[in-house]
Amino acid sequence: MNRKIVCFAGLKKFFGDETSVEVAPEESYANLLEKLGELNPEAKEVLTSCRIAVNEKFVPLDETIKDQTTLFLIPPSSGG
Amino acid sequence: MKHIQNTAINYSELFDDFRHPHSGAVVLFSGEVRDNNKGRAVTHLEYEAYAPMANKMISEILEEAKSRFKLNQAACVHRVGRVEISGCAVVVITGSGHRKEAYDANRYIIDRVKNEVPIWKHEFFADGTSEWGQNCDCVSNDHHNHQHHHHYERAE
Repeated sequence: MNRKIVCFAGLKKFFGDETSVEVAPEESYANLLEKLGELNPEAKEVLTSCRIAVNEKFVPLDETIKDQTTLFLIPPSSGG
Repeated sequence: MKHIQNTAINYSELFDDFRHPHSGAVVLFSGEVRDNNKGRAVTHLEYEAYAPMANKMISEILEEAKSRFKLNQAACVHRVGRVEISGCAVVVITGSGHRKEAYDANRYIIDRVKNEVPIWKHEFFADGTSEWGQNCDCVSNDHHNHQHHHHYERAE
């Protein structure tokens, strides 16, 4: 299934405002990060410090991707 | 949104609204835009946020701080969009019976907001270049896997 991923801040340089990745059943959020790294190898380093949010909550990366909603790729915070 | 706004933060007004009969101490922190960073001249900043999530997280951090430090009130507003030099990027106000709690809570809130909340700084330099900011000053390689208040806990 193709999953939509919204990107923020410096990630837009690699993936634009949003991208999509084909995800097989039983794959985890960590698998999805790996696939994004394959999509753009230059992003691999920053992807190691990204988190993923679903429904405005961070998800554990080792969890299987289950629901159908949009995923939000969150790079390290730099507010303040 | 209560904690995220794209217009100038009027902290004097926020401060005036902050009086509370039980508060003997009110602390206001304003994070302001510097004209330099790491030896480079900065012209302005632009902030981006995943606004609904950032708003919710700041609200949760304030509630936690209020109970943890026995505050009478706590407020935090963070800017998005362009902020000029000396402009206010983020304000935190805390009020408590005595000053220790207000100071400690204020530091706790700003540290967590900077480290955890999905808000990003884009720095624009005088030489025409720009960079997305990094607040992180940790030494370990896997610190971003700690999905909580790592910096503050280390500081205690």
